[in-house]
Amino acid sequence: MNQITNPGKTDTDPMLRVSNLTHRVNLETDTLTILQGVSLEIKRGESVAIVGRSGSGKTTLLGLLAGLDTPSEGTVELEGAVISQLSEDERAMLRARRVGFVFQSFQLLPALSALENVMLPLELAGMDSPEQRATELLQRVGLAERLAHTPRQLSGGEQQRVAIARAFASDPVVLFADEPTGNLDNRTGQAVSDLLMDLNREQGTTLVMVTHDEHLAARCARQLHIEAGSLTEPLLAQESAD
Amino acid sequence: MAAAKKLMSVTRDWRERDVRVVLVALVIAVATVATIALFASQLQRTLVSSASSFLAADRQLEAENGRPVPEAWMQQARELGLETGRMVEFSTMVFGEAGFQLVSVKAVSDEYPLRGDIEVQAGPSATRDLVSRGPVPGEVWVNPRLLRLLELNIGDTLEVGNLRLEISRLLVREPDGGFRLSSLAPRVMMHVDDVSRTGVIQEGSRVEYIYLFAGADDTLEGYYQWLAPQLEPSHEWEGVRDGETFSRSLERAERFLLLGGSLAVLLAAVAVAVASRQYALAQRDTVALLKTLGLSGRGIGMLYLRRLGLWGLAGTLGGLAIALPLFGLLVSLLSQVLERPVDYQLDPAALVPAILTALVSLFAFAYPPVRRLRQVPAMRVLRAQPGETGREAIPDILLAVFAVFGLVWLYAGELVLVVSLLGGLVLLLAVLALLGWGMIAVLRRVRGGGNAWRLALVGLYRHRRASMAQMAVFAMTLMLASTLVLVRSSLLDDWQAQLPENTPNHFLINIAPDAVQDVEAFWAERSAGLDTVYPMVRGRLTGLNGRPVKEAVSKDERINALNRELNLTWMDELPADNRIVSGQWFRPGQTDGVSVEAELAQRLGLELGDILTFTIGSETVSEPVTSIRTVEWDSMKPNFYMAFPPGGGLQNMPATWITSFYLEADQKLALNDFTRRFPTVSVLEVDHIIERIQQIVRQVTQAIEAILALILAAALVVMAAVISATLRDRQREGALLRTLGGQQALLARSTMLEFALLGFFAGTLGVVAAEAAVYALQAGMFQGTFRWHWQVILPIPLLSAGLLALFGRWQLRPVLSVSPMLLLRRLE
Repeated sequence: MNQITNPGKTDTDPMLRVSNLTHRVNLETDTLTILQGVSLEIKRGESVAIVGRSGSGKTTLLGLLAGLDTPSEGTVELEGAVISQLSEDERAMLRARRVGFVFQSFQLLPALSALENVMLPLELAGMDSPEQRATELLQRVGLAERLAHTPRQLSGGEQQRVAIARAFASDPVVLFADEPTGNLDNRTGQAVSDLLMDLNREQGTTLVMVTHDEHLAARCARQLHIEAGSLTEPLLAQESAD
Repeated sequence: MAAAKKLMSVTRDWRERDVRVVLVALVIAVATVATIALFASQLQRTLVSSASSFLAADRQLEAENGRPVPEAWMQQARELGLETGRMVEFSTMVFGEAGFQLVSVKAVSDEYPLRGDIEVQAGPSATRDLVSRGPVPGEVWVNPRLLRLLELNIGDTLEVGNLRLEISRLLVREPDGGFRLSSLAPRVMMHVDDVSRTGVIQEGSRVEYIYLFAGADDTLEGYYQWLAPQLEPSHEWEGVRDGETFSRSLERAERFLLLGGSLAVLLAAVAVAVASRQYALAQRDTVALLKTLGLSGRGIGMLYLRRLGLWGLAGTLGGLAIALPLFGLLVSLLSQVLERPVDYQLDPAALVPAILTALVSLFAFAYPPVRRLRQVPAMRVLRAQPGETGREAIPDILLAVFAVFGLVWLYAGELVLVVSLLGGLVLLLAVLALLGWGMIAVLRRVRGGGNAWRLALVGLYRHRRASMAQMAVFAMTLMLASTLVLVRSSLLDDWQAQLPENTPNHFLINIAPDAVQDVEAFWAERSAGLDTVYPMVRGRLTGLNGRPVKEAVSKDERINALNRELNLTWMDELPADNRIVSGQWFRPGQTDGVSVEAELAQRLGLELGDILTFTIGSETVSEPVTSIRTVEWDSMKPNFYMAFPPGGGLQNMPATWITSFYLEADQKLALNDFTRRFPTVSVLEVDHIIERIQQIVRQVTQAIEAILALILAAALVVMAAVISATLRDRQREGALLRTLGGQQALLARSTMLEFALLGFFAGTLGVVAAEAAVYALQAGMFQGTFRWHWQVILPIPLLSAGLLALFGRWQLRPVLSVSPMLLLRRLE
């Protein structure tokens, strides 16, 4: 457990450290290299946007950083723990305690109400009174009146707000977001990204986000540009929106 | 309710279509198997009790030596808790106002009959009544024909020996209207306590003491174990299943019910397998999300295992909730058919197969795809992952096939059944693979086009994977259902063939050699032709290859034929329904040798050339076995264990002649003239026996048809489940086609055609595989003769084509009735 959470690490140690990350997939006839020799560090509390064209390897990189998949070569360290060497179940435990997710397609369970969707990770983490915490979070994202509604009864923006509430429910140290506004119109997308950035700042979470949305990318402290599986020179670090 | 708990709740699951299908399949499986098992067990009891009533008991002990058995034997039976009763049968002259007549007397105790009822009339034109005990002392019941012969009326007295008894009723039918060649017509029934006062039975009289026993099977068996060592050769212990006439019908009915149950198990397993695979596929996103949120593989396994457990519980309870009232309904139908009340007995042991079916269906068929959910990569939340190729499922499928066939074996206890069905399925899948390969090769060349046929063919090609899978399931379902239909028809045909119209219903026995021609002439005048007239010599088989026969054969065998006199005959031609299985029938002019009935030959371990010694009166005759032949015991014609050639071993033995013939009901009065003219010839009336057999066949037929209907309903549900598995994809595709400008009518036509083609191929395959399975079953299990069943082979593919076309049209309904936009959004 200690190895996974590494509480002894100081704030100045990087939240994520990636060394020489390479990822290949075997096709029927040949092997496709999706990521090639990626190395980077992300500091605690930092917000980073990964940008690039479709098919450049952004989502694969996000999946590897979050421990959803394991790389062909190289290592990923989260708070000093080499997650690429953990077993699937150890990575699941790590995700349950330290990591939050927001997806382009929301990924809410259709059979559960908004409240139950937010309660789910709290229950999986073994929290005693998940309902109170989930209600507070839904109030925070402006859905106090929609607790009992199922995803089908909510608009896209509302669904994404439920997803954001769920992502922050277990107090993650790092939040991974995959095109969080990709399925939303401009205005709704704006509102959702405001909420995401605000909550991120309030909770002091490290944010790693894949996006096509230039405005949203610009609100992150740093942007990593990826092209054909490799990081190109990072764009000049910009001040984040705050 | 907590979210994780809710994820595991059956009420929540019920909202998901695939789970509904799994649950409905489970409910149907449990309901079908439970109903069949309950009903089969009920039918078994009813049949046995019907058949028991042929003995008027569960078992009979006959003493043919003219002496009662020791009272201690009966005492022991009563101490074991068996019901007992006794009868004495003898022939004697009775006297009435107008003369005298040789009758066959059956004197019965108060307990008679232990099983079944006696049918009586208060007068010649009164209604028939069923009563459950015989005449009281001082009274006598007589056959209506005797009344006419002696010109007597109800209330008159009949002299039996020294005793005058009042005729109180007409005896129409006795439950044990036994098929005994020694019995003489007409029948008189009296109370056993009156027998001694008649003074008829003297030392050396030809009299038979018969003891009746009824009770639980194991008690009866226990009693027999106790009794067997004390039995003498002249004692014969008879159970229902020894009755040659009925045992085969009964056995086949039982086997058919078991076959039906087994097919229900297979159908259920198919439905559960299809639906749970669909369910597992649909669950992959949820699993990926749960993994992303931190649930471990073990947690996921537990989550779904618990779910399956809940489904099993819900399915079993739901199935039983349907099975119990359905069983009640079947029992009341049965009692209507039988025109008598049937005890509604719920046999808890009959529920075991249902629960086992639910467990095996769930854990052999539903669990493997659900277990593989643990392997769904978490990365799926971000990006679609390569789906299952189906290859990883092969070990699961093999395991499941073994599990379900193991279940069928356990359930039906018939290896032949398991092997036949397995063989049929393997053949089916092999042909299917070949057909699929051919179909894809042909369809690949079809290019799209505007007409419905082309669209349908292109559709089949486009959905080739789903089409092949659906075809496999449909073909299997149709195979199982057709197997049942085919076995049912050949079973019923066989039964009907066994007792066709004009089956001989009367026997003439004891015809003196010089009376044979006159007897034949008598009936020819009345246009009731006699079957072949056979000579009959009574004798015992006493020796085998020079040793006493009872030493020469295995002690384990209980062979009644060794305990009594056999009817021996001579004949020059092999009867039409006998078949030589070994050796050769007598050549013209041959005078040595004996032909032995096959079953007896097998039990005695006889081989061609063995020397048999018969004791006939004070003479002995030894002859080698020259042929072994099968005999149709159910044919209601004289049948013989042993046949000699004319001029052979029986040459100088005292013989009487025997024959059988069919007499119409309205010609029965002619029997009076006959018995007057030939007083020494005994007439044995078996028309009531034939009526009873036909009644049993009718009742079994009804039950079989009820069960068949249930199983066909299950088959329909399986097909509906399989079709609805691809419902969403097809609806989405239909909506897209409409969005792209496809016309409703064209879409409807091409979809119906596509399904009709699928149904036609599946029907053809299914029916061919069914014929193969039936061929094996007929050969191995039902001992019937195989015929091609064109009346089923032709319509089933057409029926299945029509049915699937309708299913296809039905599932397209929302696509055609709602705007494409609304539909696409709804399907998102």
